This record gives sequence, C-alpha cells and structure tokens, in this order.
Amino acid sequence: MATPIIMPKFGQMTEESAIVEWLKKEGDKIAAGDILFTVETDKSVMEVESFEAGTLIKIVVPPKVNVPVQSTVGFLGTPGEPIPTVTAPAPAAPKRAEAAPAPAASTPKPATQAAPVAATASIAPAVSATTAAVPAVPAIFRISPRAAALAKNCVIDPARIRGTGPEGRIVEKDVRGYLQERGYDKLRISPAAKQRAALEKLDILSITISGGDNRITTADIDRALAERPRAMSKMRQIIAQRLTQSVVTAPHFFVTVEADMTDLVKFRGELKAKGAPYSVTDFISEAVVLTLKEFPDVNSSTDGKSIRWNSKINLGIAVSLEQGLVVPVIRNADDLTLGELNQRTKELAEKARGGKLGPDEMSGSTFTISNMGMMDVENFTAIINTGESAILAVSSTLKKAVVRDDKVVARSIMKMTLSADHRIIDGAMAAKFTNAIKQKLEDIELWKRLTS
Amino acid sequence: METFDLVVIGAGPGGYPAAIRAAQLGARAAIIEKEQLGGTCLNWGCIPTKALIAAAETFEKIKHAERFGITVKDASVDYSVMIGHKNKVVQQLRGGIKSLLTANGVKQFTGTASFVDRNTLEVNGERIGAKKIIIATGSTSAMPGFLPKHERVVESRAFLDIQKLPASMIVMGGGFIGCELACMAAMLGVKVTIVELSEDILMLLDADVRREVRTHMEKDLGIRMLTGKALEKISADAKGVRGNFGDETLSADLLLCAVGRKPVTDGLKLENVGLKTTDRGFIQADDHCRTSVANIYAIGDVTGKIQLAHYATSQGIAAAENAVRPKSEKHEMIVPNVIFTSPEVGTAGLSEDDAKKQNRAVKTGKFRFSGLGKGLATGETTGFVKWIADATTDQLLGAAAVGPHATELVAEAAAVIRSELTTHELGRTIHAHPTFSEVWMEAAHALHGECIHAPPKRKA
Repeated sequence: MATPIIMPKFGQMTEESAIVEWLKKEGDKIAAGDILFTVETDKSVMEVESFEAGTLIKIVVPPKVNVPVQSTVGFLGTPGEPIPTVTAPAPAAPKRAEAAPAPAASTPKPATQAAPVAATASIAPAVSATTAAVPAVPAIFRISPRAAALAKNCVIDPARIRGTGPEGRIVEKDVRGYLQERGYDKLRISPAAKQRAALEKLDILSITISGGDNRITTADIDRALAERPRAMSKMRQIIAQRLTQSVVTAPHFFVTVEADMTDLVKFRGELKAKGAPYSVTDFISEAVVLTLKEFPDVNSSTDGKSIRWNSKINLGIAVSLEQGLVVPVIRNADDLTLGELNQRTKELAEKARGGKLGPDEMSGSTFTISNMGMMDVENFTAIINTGESAILAVSSTLKKAVVRDDKVVARSIMKMTLSADHRIIDGAMAAKFTNAIKQKLEDIELWKRLTS
Repeated sequence: METFDLVVIGAGPGGYPAAIRAAQLGARAAIIEKEQLGGTCLNWGCIPTKALIAAAETFEKIKHAERFGITVKDASVDYSVMIGHKNKVVQQLRGGIKSLLTANGVKQFTGTASFVDRNTLEVNGERIGAKKIIIATGSTSAMPGFLPKHERVVESRAFLDIQKLPASMIVMGGGFIGCELACMAAMLGVKVTIVELSEDILMLLDADVRREVRTHMEKDLGIRMLTGKALEKISADAKGVRGNFGDETLSADLLLCAVGRKPVTDGLKLENVGLKTTDRGFIQADDHCRTSVANIYAIGDVTGKIQLAHYATSQGIAAAENAVRPKSEKHEMIVPNVIFTSPEVGTAGLSEDDAKKQNRAVKTGKFRFSGLGKGLATGETTGFVKWIADATTDQLLGAAAVGPHATELVAEAAAVIRSELTTHELGRTIHAHPTFSEVWMEAAHALHGECIHAPPKRKA
C-alpha cells in the first residue's frame, strides 16, 4: 500500500509552503530519516525527512508551487505498485486571473499540471484550517484523449468546456461545439504568436487584440504573459502581511508639524566644512530619541488590554531597497552619542543595501522613522510597524514662503507626520510629541552642545 | 494669412508622402521646399546613385560576358553620358512628384521655412498659418573641419555631379554611402582605396555578412580596404590629394568624404517654438513621430533614428495620419535595409548580433547562392542568405542577404518577419523554381537541418 508524503506544517502561522527542491527522484530507494525535499517557509528553508522506508514512486507536487500544508506531495511504496489517483493539489496562490474572483469554481487543470490524464482522477487535497472557510472542492475533470489533443492543438484551455460525455467527461464533440460557439474559426493569430501561446500554455481565446490588424500578434502574447499573476517574493508577502495586520489592529491617526530647518541645514553645512560627518538624518534621529525619553508612552506597545513600556529605545530606520523594504534597528539608541548614532546608521544602511542584515538587526525596534527626504515629497503618512505605538514620516526639506515677524521670508521647511496608535496615544500627546521634536530641530544651541 | 490643417517642411521622401497622405484624408495641406522636390533621396542620393550603379553594373557584365560566348570588343565608358542618364531620371521623377502634389491639391511653397510661433511659419517673408506641422528637413553630408577646402575633396552630392571620373580616389568612411560609390567607381575602372576608422566596413552588419562583402570588394573589384585607423594629415593641391594611414602615405586624384550625415535645422528658428535639439543637433521624436511641442511632428533623417528614405516615408505617412486623425498610432518598426554594393546586401528585422544582445536564444539557417540552379545558370553565385529565428518559438526575427538581387530579395523577408511567420511555415511555402527567391526556403530548411539541396551536417 503506497504511503502519502505530506507537506508538513512549520509553525502555527504557516498556511502554505512551496517545495524548493526535491532531493530524491522518482524510483529512488528511501531509508527512514533520508531527506526528501526542502521547503521554503516565512523565515528559512527547512529540510523534510522521510518517516518511513520505501521507494519514491511518485512526485505529485513539483518545486516552486505553493500548496496548502498537509497536502499530499508524493508517495512512498514498492516499485510497480499502482499509484493512488491524485491530481496535484490546486496551487494555493491562484496562478490565473480567472481563478481569483471565484475560488469556489476553481478547477485543477490536469493539462497544465504534472499528472497525466490517464493516471488521474481527482481527490481534494487535504484542506488546512484556513482554506476550509472556502470549501475548495475541485470539480472532477474528465476529458477524452482526443478532446484533450484537439484542445491542445487549438491552444485553448479545456477547463472552460462543459463535458457531455459519461460523468461529465469532455469529448471531442464538446470541444468542437465550444470552438464554434466562441467563434474560433474567425480568430486570427500570427503563427509565431500561436507557437508562443502553446509553449506558455496560454488560452488564445482569452487574449485581447491590441493592433489595428485585428490579429493576435506576439506583442499581444507578451502582454498576456506580463499580466499573468506571479507569486510575490517572500519579502513582499511578509511586508503585505505585517502592514495589513498593523492597519487592521492599530487605529491610526495622523499629526503633521512643520519644522524650520534653515538654521540646522546651515549649521550642518558649517560642520561638514570642518570635516564632521553628521547628516540631517542623524539630527532627526537624535531629536526623536531625546523626545522619546520625555514621552515613555510613545515608546510602548499594546495588545489592546495592557501597555508595555520599553525601557530601552531601539530605533528602526526604514530603508527602501529594490526588492522591498527593510527596517534595520539601532539598538539602545538612547545610550549612543551623536557620533555613535551616525556611525551605526551608516553601518546598518550599508548592510541593508548589501542584503547582509542579521535577524537581530531587523527586529526589536520600539519606534520607527521613515525618511523620504530625498524623494522630493511635500508630505506623506507611514504605517506603524506592528508592535510599536507610532512612526514618524519625514518629508523633504523645501524652500517655502513663510511669515516671520509679519514678513514673508523664504525658509527651508520640513514636514513631519506622526502616525500614532490611538489605543495608546491620544491627539494631544501626539501633538506635543511631534512639536517637541520640531523644537529640538530648531534649537541650534542644542546641536552646538551635542556636537562640541 | 493663409491657414492650413497641415504644413510639411521639406519635400523629401518623408515630407511629400506626408503631405499627400494628409490631403487624401481631407486635410488642407501645404509643403515647403527650399531646393528640389524629392529631397536628398531623389536628387543627390538613392536615385542618382542607382542610375550610375546600374550603368556600372552593365559595364561589369559586358566585361564578364565571355563565359556566355559573348565577346564585346573595345567596350568603353563615356561617364558624361552616364551622368546625363542620371540627370534625366532625376528630372522625370521630380516632375512626377510635382504632378502628384498638385493632383492631390497640396499647395507648394519654395523657400526656406522658419517658425514664427507654433502655428505660424514664414517663407520668403510670407506668413503661413498651420494647425499641425511636420518637420521633414532631412540631413546633409557631414564634412569634418580638418578636411582641406579644395575641389579635389568632395562629399557624395558634389561627387555625383563630376563630369569625369578620376583615375584614383580615396573614400573616407566605410559606411554604406562610401562603399556603394566605391564599388560603382571601381567597376568603371577607378583605383579605389577605402579608409575606415572602425575595425571593419559596414559595422551595422553581422560579421559573416561583412566578410562576404569585403572579400568580394577586395578580390573582384580590386578595392583596397584600410581599416582600424584614421586618415591623417590630409592635404590637397592641383596635383592631387594625400593623406597618412599609419606610416603609409596615400595619394589619389580625389578624396570622397562619406563619414556620416548631419541634420538640417538651419534657418528653422526652432527657438521660437521652444523645440530643443539633441547634442548632435537632431530633433527628438517618439514612435508616433511627436516632438516635445504638441502640434509639431518630426520625421526622417532630422530625427536621427534610421536614415533611410523608406523609413522616412513610413514615418511621414504615420505622422500625417496622427496629425490629421484623432487616433494616434505608432509608425512601422520592421525596416528593411538595402546596400547597393557589389555584392548587394539586404537586411530586415534583427541582426544575429542584435538578437543575441537581447539575450534571446537564436538559431540561424544559411544557404549559399552557389547551391541554387538559378544562381549557376546566370553565373551569379556569390554570397548567401541567413535567417535569424527564435530558438524556442521558431519565429523569424531577422534576415540578411548578401549576393545577387539581395536588395530585391529582402522584401519577402520583411513581409514574413512583420507577419510573424515561423521558419517552419516559410520553409513549407512553395517558392517558384528556378528563382533566386528559393534561397529563403532553403535557408529555412537549413535552420532545422532539413535541407534538400545541401548535404546533412556531420555530427561532431
């Protein structure tokens, strides 16, 4: 009796995983404890051992396909033994646009998946707790070899055809009827485009024509391929999950204050001329750290029932990379001098750009700054890093006409917007906190003292 | 002030079709030309050179007619008659354009146009109103400042009007203009030396195509090729022209400068409409031929894209349609390129180098004219054609032909590449026998190793 190999569940939060690589191939003899394949999870790549001995008689799930945990990914048994009829589980991430809006109607596509038609009926993959909400009962997909060959030849997706054969089996007549109904004989397509569509397993009936000739060209195929949903990188998925969680659980509100940076920018220029390394970002970080000491509630976190104050200030600095966003953390920022702060910021930014940040350099922040100063923005708001109570969005310093002593003068103005978690922070505190940062930035005597 | 829907500046192969197309679409159109209708192409480029090359090729054929049993004694060349033939052809075509413009109701102005503002032009002191304007002012030969100003130093336009060919000449520049005129002169008995700064002549072509052209120009026409260094210390006097190529001093009766072409924007007063040119003086236009000024379009050589007459024509038609109709479309992208050297060259689509630079997996199929019955029958066996196809989809991406009638043969390649045919289908298309066009079918078979008329490749 063949034994199914199950996609394990790593950790409570894991709902789906993808095999990175099969380390054994079909027909290999397996001893208990042999590593069968590797799996990508949120955090790392894990090896999966076999619990039993036997021969790997069938691989059901190929690498790089996300499937729900607990799904059958392969079978152990004795060579020659009949393989239980299983199709590959429906990929967890919808691979095609049409599957997305109506998950209940999603149908596995034997033509595009690994399992050959003859050897497969279909059973539902083991459904994990979360996917159970949407009862994913794939319709049994039956198609005659002649019908399948005709559909393949016409470069169309047979899954959209209703079968009239025994038990709903699609027969050649159904394919022909479908083609006629969809006006297939009027469809014009360039030979190269058809070839490309066949290789990429596109359905040419679903391709939109853009050119004036009313004919599908390779440009249309290129567009269809570019539009095909692709899996998000692990990094983007984590960003998506964390930020959604933050927005859903923490009631955000926003307070914008503008700081007059004219004097500080000038002072920084003077320091630079003397060879001091400080950047405006360092001054902002330092002003934030000093202010956090005055407002312990802002350096806290909540679960909605209790508030936990963090005695140390771990300052997160959002850094934008090509692949996404990372937040390196300056630990114990409250213990650092301005010079040390400058040094540490530089080190972490460099590591971040090189992708060399360690896990402890990306976690444990108690307050975060997101600085878009170099992006030429008037103002923006940021989303609170989960587990913190506020985040400061720093915008560009721009020359503005402002009123000083009843006269209009040109000054360098920088807007800062605090996003605060209303469960901990009320409007008044947010206003006071943000204004306290502003006052520090405008207090040149403070910076003279800190840099002397 | 008379006002038009569209005014085209320049009546070259880009400008006059634009004006006619606009008129066809019902627009009130006008065209302004400062010299001759037909522009460089008709008057000093494509057409006159082809008239002379046709004459030179006829002479070349007479010289080699003995293998057919035809002996012509004392065949000789009267170059001034050739020039006369050329001038007659040019005149006839110019007249043709004039009557076409008139028949389509396009108002013609002669003079140099300049912008007054974005809707007003001035010609000979007269103001013309224009809703839309197409700049099609073309290009002119670039003459580097270090060249001596002397009647023995000429560019292509002046060269086409000389009444007597020199005994020897140096061609500076191994691009297609230099190579075409070098072949023409060599066939008529001129001792020709080409000096090219780059490592080879005709650098836009794939290396195998270049090698074929170069070998035949050197061996059959006796043209000397000096590449990889500049011609220096150039001087000219009553006795001749001289220049140094490395340690060697070259001398000849004439120096033909063919180092490239520069855009013509003098006198347009582009600053009056805020139209900026690139650092090399070109007017930038996008795939819809739009410039940075909303109602002004630019086409052809002045845009610095592909400097070919038929490309300008395609752009001109697209620009006219975009200017007159509400919906804007891109101009065509598959541009055949033809070079009237001996042997001729024709290319379309991507070169093998270009395709590889795009990181595409490509397959090529080649077939030589010496493998064709028609080639052997006519005694034209030089060269080959090459298909460049996508290795995964079999799509025809590009083609190159070098050999007899290559410039005509390339038309089929351009049509099938634009239609996105595969080599498989082209190979199955019946080609009439015996013709030169069969070479494409054979090359398509060769790409899959299924040639009927070539032995199978031995497996390594």
